Amino acid sequence: MQVRLKRLIVAVLLLQAPFSGKAFAGRQPLELLVTQPYLEMHSGPGRGYPVTYVVGRGETVTVLYSRTEWYKVRAPRGQEGWARRDEVALTTLPSGRAPPIIAGAEFASHRWELGAGYGEYNHQDMITAYADYGITPSIDVEAVVEQALRTPDNALVASLGLRHTFLPEWKWFSPTAGVGAAVRHIVSRNPPPPENDNRLAYVSLGARGFFTERLMWRADWRHYVVFNNTNLYEDLEEWKFGLAVYF
Amino acid sequence: MEIRPGSLLLAAALLSGCGWFHRGERQRSEEVSDASPADSAIVEPQVTRRDVKTSRIKAKDIEVGGFVGALSIEDFGTNSLYGLRGAYHVSEDFFFEAFVASSKAGNTYASNINPLKSVTTNAGKYFSYYDLDAGYNVLPGEIFLGRGRAINSALYLSVGVGDVKFAENHHFALNFGLGERLLVTDWLAVHLDVRDHVFESTLTGRAQNLNNIEATVGLTAFF
Repeated sequence: MQVRLKRLIVAVLLLQAPFSGKAFAGRQPLELLVTQPYLEMHSGPGRGYPVTYVVGRGETVTVLYSRTEWYKVRAPRGQEGWARRDEVALTTLPSGRAPPIIAGAEFASHRWELGAGYGEYNHQDMITAYADYGITPSIDVEAVVEQALRTPDNALVASLGLRHTFLPEWKWFSPTAGVGAAVRHIVSRNPPPPENDNRLAYVSLGARGFFTERLMWRADWRHYVVFNNTNLYEDLEEWKFGLAVYF
Repeated sequence: MEIRPGSLLLAAALLSGCGWFHRGERQRSEEVSDASPADSAIVEPQVTRRDVKTSRIKAKDIEVGGFVGALSIEDFGTNSLYGLRGAYHVSEDFFFEAFVASSKAGNTYASNINPLKSVTTNAGKYFSYYDLDAGYNVLPGEIFLGRGRAINSALYLSVGVGDVKFAENHHFALNFGLGERLLVTDWLAVHLDVRDHVFESTLTGRAQNLNNIEATVGLTAFF
């Protein structure tokens, strides 16, 4: 009976060995070899926090996680601290190859933008948030949600459109133009509107530019045409300015 | 002298064994002599290098948590406030932050004098808002607790826009904040904040800007 039990245990261990090996290999933390004279470790993820430990050339650090452009690393003797991405990028893998440290998206070739801002929609204050995906460096798909507010008016607008950036290689200022469609829901208005829900189409002109550290600015002017079931021609204007982070 | 057949067999076996060993050595020396000196110096390693898969470096740039405090609604007294907050840290300096919170207004000075003259309905006493802010860490540093412990901190300024729903109406509000983030650990932070929500209201009969100042304490975690 004991022999059978032992055989069973051995069989189970043998069966799981390849899988456990694989799992272990998959979860192995990133270890980097310091090749510069030293690597400074700060007490926090920012240049203002003091240096608490220095790892010398030839020693290995374990990368735990990152926050903004800083990496939490563990020194060979267990000390933990934050190292700047620029300095971590100068280390190597134990095999001598370059470390998998991604320096963040380049402004000229970024794919995603997430932003928010302030504007005026039909002479009302407006809060706006948007997400933008670059199909090519110059053509983006943008989804925008907006809330226009003026006591007691309150309207929500959601839009989807295409935006063309004329000179995406211009970093600080680049003009844009766009077209798209939108839906509007009027939550409340005094006096009440004939229709609470409408479809809209828009054309837009704007500009964008790099601001600093993965931040960019956006300015847009839009002209909306409202499709309604009344015999009134309704068109609206809006402008907005916002800050966005790009990925 | 008697020679046993067993001894003979043993001796023969030993001798043949020696011969076999000797023949093997000669064979090896012949192989070496066939190869040129340069070839013999090259040793081809038979090791296949295994690519070690390392885990992806997790980015912990998102901060989520809650806060409680007191909100002073202009002309409506000071009341408790509860809310949620979430932030995305773009860089060591800049971050975006969103807030959702709710409070309930007290009585106005006017209705204290004359209880029949109530400015808001019961439902309209709820003061709720959302804010979208951009923040900047102005004074990163450390705070020392006793002799043996230091915790990271940062003083930050924030400015943003939001929607305040009060007296059953939505108001566009600007908000300005000053806060201190105390990092108890690298993933857990305590916030102390003072923020002002300014919006225009005609609630008291004439259009005026209302300043609604809140003081809160919050707890957040980084993911």
